[in-house]
Amino acid sequence: MNSLSDVVLIAGGQRVLSVAPSPAFWIAVVAYTAASAALLFVLGGHERARRWALGLVVLAFVAHGADIGLRGVAHVHPAQSVREALGFMAFIITGGYLVASARYRLTLGGAVVLPVALVLLVVARLSPAGEQTDMIALGRIHISLATVGVGIFALAAALSAIYLVEERALKKKRFDTLAFKDKGAPLDALDRWSNRLIWVGFPIFTVALVLGAIWVSKLGEDLTRIEYPLAAVTWFAYATLIIARAAYGWRGRRAARLTLIGFAAALAVLAIYLVRRMVA
Amino acid sequence: MSELFVVGISWRTAPVAVREKLAFREEELASVLQEMRATLPVAEALLVSTCNRVEVYGVAKAGIDATGPVRKFLAESRGLQPTAVADVLYDHTGSQAIRHVFSVASALDSLVLGEAQILGQLKEAYGVAGAAGTSGPTLSRALERAFGVAKRVRTETAIARGAANVSTVSVDLAARVFGSLAGKSVLVVGAGKMSTLAARHLRTQGATHIVVTNRSPEKAERLAEEIDGIAKPWADLEKHLAEADVVISSTGAREPILTKDVFKRVTKARRWRPIVVIDIAVPRDADPKVADFDGVYLFDIDDLEKVVAANLAERAKAAEHASKIVEHEATQFEQWMRSQGVVPTIRALRDKFAAIADAEVQKTLDAMARKEHTPAQQREAIQRLVQLVVNKLLHQPTAALREIGSVDEATLRAEVLCELFGLEPTETARASDPTLESVPESSPERQPET
Repeated sequence: MNSLSDVVLIAGGQRVLSVAPSPAFWIAVVAYTAASAALLFVLGGHERARRWALGLVVLAFVAHGADIGLRGVAHVHPAQSVREALGFMAFIITGGYLVASARYRLTLGGAVVLPVALVLLVVARLSPAGEQTDMIALGRIHISLATVGVGIFALAAALSAIYLVEERALKKKRFDTLAFKDKGAPLDALDRWSNRLIWVGFPIFTVALVLGAIWVSKLGEDLTRIEYPLAAVTWFAYATLIIARAAYGWRGRRAARLTLIGFAAALAVLAIYLVRRMVA
Repeated sequence: MSELFVVGISWRTAPVAVREKLAFREEELASVLQEMRATLPVAEALLVSTCNRVEVYGVAKAGIDATGPVRKFLAESRGLQPTAVADVLYDHTGSQAIRHVFSVASALDSLVLGEAQILGQLKEAYGVAGAAGTSGPTLSRALERAFGVAKRVRTETAIARGAANVSTVSVDLAARVFGSLAGKSVLVVGAGKMSTLAARHLRTQGATHIVVTNRSPEKAERLAEEIDGIAKPWADLEKHLAEADVVISSTGAREPILTKDVFKRVTKARRWRPIVVIDIAVPRDADPKVADFDGVYLFDIDDLEKVVAANLAERAKAAEHASKIVEHEATQFEQWMRSQGVVPTIRALRDKFAAIADAEVQKTLDAMARKEHTPAQQREAIQRLVQLVVNKLLHQPTAALREIGSVDEATLRAEVLCELFGLEPTETARASDPTLESVPESSPERQPET
């Protein structure tokens, strides 16, 4: 059995569904794990571990990117399936975290976000690949845009989750909690960035949704499948949020909750696709 | 190298009523230092005088204990009997003095653990000593290292994290909502002393627009002028609340003035923009239910005190790690100081060895220049040169080792040599090597004709 034994060849060997995890993947897994542990150390008061933690996040990000690149060389596109999309989404989340870390101390946020990225990556690489049907260009564009859109929503949701944890500690005056002691990004900045990300992600997701609907209708599939109304829930949640923010001054806790609801629906869609593919 | 010493008084040993008697004004520091060096057995001196400590860091003249005279000087220069302050003054010398200086610079000896002022005060005092010409190499190295240690402690531990007084906690809480306070507007309700302090602190943190409102317009005007703000009528309180980002309230009202009804209207007018309300009045100015509104962050005086206590507890925890850093750095500094003491000896040793080697190399080169050598002769000449240099280098120490009368001293010196050169002498080596009996300085004899 060679290292590409689980490769699924399609259409005369031009495209493949999946390849075995590369060494870069294992480096990323170790780096993500070590970075998460280092951030917990920082939260425990070991300030010196902060530099190590950030270094490990950078290593995880680079290794993760290298893994995606190596899969690309082996003809596995990051948006060709939900499985690959999950791995790419984890990459976007880590990248966003790194960018935000350059400005704010996001120790607690990192301790939450990095394990999530790790789980997404592991699920993306180690879950069964399932069967692949041939995909037209429309389908590929739909999945690519949806991956980027949901990746951006994932960042907004991560910021909203951090917002809710920090806000709760401040409102309830829990001065002895990690959320208070960590002194992370200010609430105003978390709210502002979450809003900006939704403004960026929403048009991308909207186009993805429209292309997806056209693709499905071309395939002649039934639009009543559970993932379609769930995708619509995501779209409506973010559309409502954008309107409510602009028209009624919604912000803070309410906006954060709605952001999380929208992302939960998007995550449910991904989970359904993934399970369906695995079962198939 | 001369030893460092510290003589002083601090909040640990004396109350302010005693400390103030020994305090020095900034403008007299230079002349006091110069007088100290002129009249006492002190080679280098630095004087730091703050509200929490008065300390002299110095270096005594060789072989003299200067702490006694400095104690006497400190008392007498302030018009006190030395015996009157003998119990509250402390002194440290050598390694203890180094540890003390490092701890003080790192704010581990401060009343408020981890406070930032002491480092600045020490740097100023060091500057004054430099300008007065009383700081020398030892003091400079100790102080420069102390500043480095303080920086390391602040970077690597949580000793300076979290605000440690009520007014800085107010700023800290507001910053948790807004981040930078630059460009934020502050509303001061009431003209109490605490709100003045907090508002002033917010101003230093970048708050640009400060509005003061009070039932008495005169007091509002006065406070506004003091903190560079604008006085506004009390009747427009709700309007000001709708515009402010941070509210500091400390009126003498018996009933809450920032009620739920007021905030119901205010939050709507603000479109739920966040607002931080710091209520430092007792009785409280704000109804606690105000905090139920989205975007309203209300903190009363107890909350602020709790944050201060929590932060100080965290600092105390961090102090353990910081103390280890200080101990490690002090040990390293001591080693470095000791190594500085043997530098002249090392230099002389190197010079002497180099001179011997140079002279012998030159002689060999001269001899070789006089006659052409075959490769075998060249190798032989080099071997002889090396042996000659080794013998010359070893001649004096070997002779000195043999000339010692006392067995104990000879053993001691032999042990030192073994340690310095990493030797493991054996009895068999002694018996079998006849050259050990005597190492002639010029053996083997140079043969000019090679």
